[in-house]
Amino acid sequence: MKVVIADDEELARGVLREYLEKEPGIEIAAECANGFEAVKAVAEYKPDVLFLDVQMPKLDGFEVLELIDRQVAVVFVTAFDQYAMRAFDAAAVDYLLKPFGESRFRAALEKIKRRTGEIRPAELSTELMNAVRPAGEYLERIVVKDGARVHVIPAGKLDYAEAQDDYIALRSEGRTWLKQQTIASLESALHPKRFVRIHRGYLVNIERITRIEPNTKDTWTAVLVDGARIPVSRGGYGRFNSLIGG
Amino acid sequence: MHPLLHNWKASLLYLGAWLPLGAILGLLISVAGSLTALETAAIIVPVTVILAFVCLSPWYACRALPLRSTGAGRLLGQHLLAAMVVSAAVLMIARIVASSLSDVRPGLDKRFGGADPVLAAMVAMIYLLSIAMHYVVIEAQTSRRSELLAREAQLRALKAQVNPHFLFNSLNSISALTASDPVRAREMCIQLADFLRTSLRLGERASIPFSEEMELTRMYLNVEQVRFGRRLQLALDVEPACGECEVPALVIQPLVENAVKHGIALLEQGGEILMLGRLVKEGLRFTIENPYDPLAPASRSGIGLANVRQRLEARYGNAARLEVEASDDVYRVTLLVPVRVLPVRPS
Repeated sequence: MKVVIADDEELARGVLREYLEKEPGIEIAAECANGFEAVKAVAEYKPDVLFLDVQMPKLDGFEVLELIDRQVAVVFVTAFDQYAMRAFDAAAVDYLLKPFGESRFRAALEKIKRRTGEIRPAELSTELMNAVRPAGEYLERIVVKDGARVHVIPAGKLDYAEAQDDYIALRSEGRTWLKQQTIASLESALHPKRFVRIHRGYLVNIERITRIEPNTKDTWTAVLVDGARIPVSRGGYGRFNSLIGG
Repeated sequence: MHPLLHNWKASLLYLGAWLPLGAILGLLISVAGSLTALETAAIIVPVTVILAFVCLSPWYACRALPLRSTGAGRLLGQHLLAAMVVSAAVLMIARIVASSLSDVRPGLDKRFGGADPVLAAMVAMIYLLSIAMHYVVIEAQTSRRSELLAREAQLRALKAQVNPHFLFNSLNSISALTASDPVRAREMCIQLADFLRTSLRLGERASIPFSEEMELTRMYLNVEQVRFGRRLQLALDVEPACGECEVPALVIQPLVENAVKHGIALLEQGGEILMLGRLVKEGLRFTIENPYDPLAPASRSGIGLANVRQRLEARYGNAARLEVEASDDVYRVTLLVPVRVLPVRPS
């Protein structure tokens, strides 16, 4: 079984290494000190299990989860975070609380072995992130994968998102990024007064809309700052008006 | 005793407020009884003085009949009865004064009789008004007292708060060291115990010398330096004279913890925390600077600064300041507390 460890603290990685080395048939493929490295290492080594710290430089554990292969089993490792613990319990995600003993660690590993091959639901990471965010606060940035690298889009720089099958296409600063996520879950994470779902397939940054032109009786077209033209449905037109009206 | 009488300034103010009231009463009876100015004054001055003291008596009645737990009928009945008794008594005194003066001022008692109903009604009204005022004062007092108690309790809770995230991470570091380096594991155990013990001890006190607060901060950083290793560098520049200054307990340590948690911990290479302590005209100025990643994932627990700010506000009002500046990659927090030479004694 191939394992990757991601924790920014050397000593914390040491505990995992110590326990893992005693287990037969385990290979530690990589140890990472930040979220970017973790995403890269998972893509490169295709491990079976990722031990993932929640608070890390560059990307936190939830953002890493969004960007990695959904077949990799993930065990979160955290010291104390009431909200995260509640979210993990609710989503039935495996986690270890620091400090943890060898027996607890082995139990987590056994559970993983029984479940290898399972694929995580695509919405899990968004659900976790929404669960740990305090009420009234919204996503400030969106992380996307750019080949092997990670790109961060600040929420204010996102022009719009377009639904494409299992993916969403994110338009920002003249470029388009693809991400495996539904448009509804992105909508639930972003500020509802800054982003409006003007169409079933489109979520638009309200600051980017210059005007709305009538099209047919029940459809309109939104024209964005960069000239992009986006269809507006009847329901979307209502949402847009109620947002700018009050 | 009535709270007004505890304070001679308040008592004077209260009596002063009776001057216009007495003047109005005088005007009313002089018109109603066609009295001269001198006759009016002779009657109204003693009446007003007596009334001023009688109107303090509802303090006891109002506390015996609290608004919330007394029925409306009983409340109204008791206070109306008292108002009638007071009105009758005051009227009797006024009559005695008038009749004793009718030797020098013939017909005064007869003429004063015309002003009887006006005076009786006014006295009853003023007395009822004073009852209402007393209820307002009592209500304000209770709500202020409960607010103070709530704030005190909150401060105690805030001070006693040792960040669980820090505690569990430190225990994890110890757990890691027990296998690889038992001597350092024991050392860290002791450092953690020192920090916890000191923070509990200092948390019980309202003010402590700045030097003790810095000592606690040092203990905290000793533990964190084991956890972060080379990632956590320190630079300290504190004027020796700062050490004697009294500061609220546990105001510096949370600022340093903030710098570690939201600055150093989110930087892969870590960085240096710079602490400056200076005595300036307005008091003690403490500055803490740390590098940070402006693009770091949002942190969910930025309550440390808010706690310190609330505590400073509760204690110093506008005299203390906590300023935060964030440039591209440096985060700076400046704390200014007025210096107190003597420790504050609870009143």
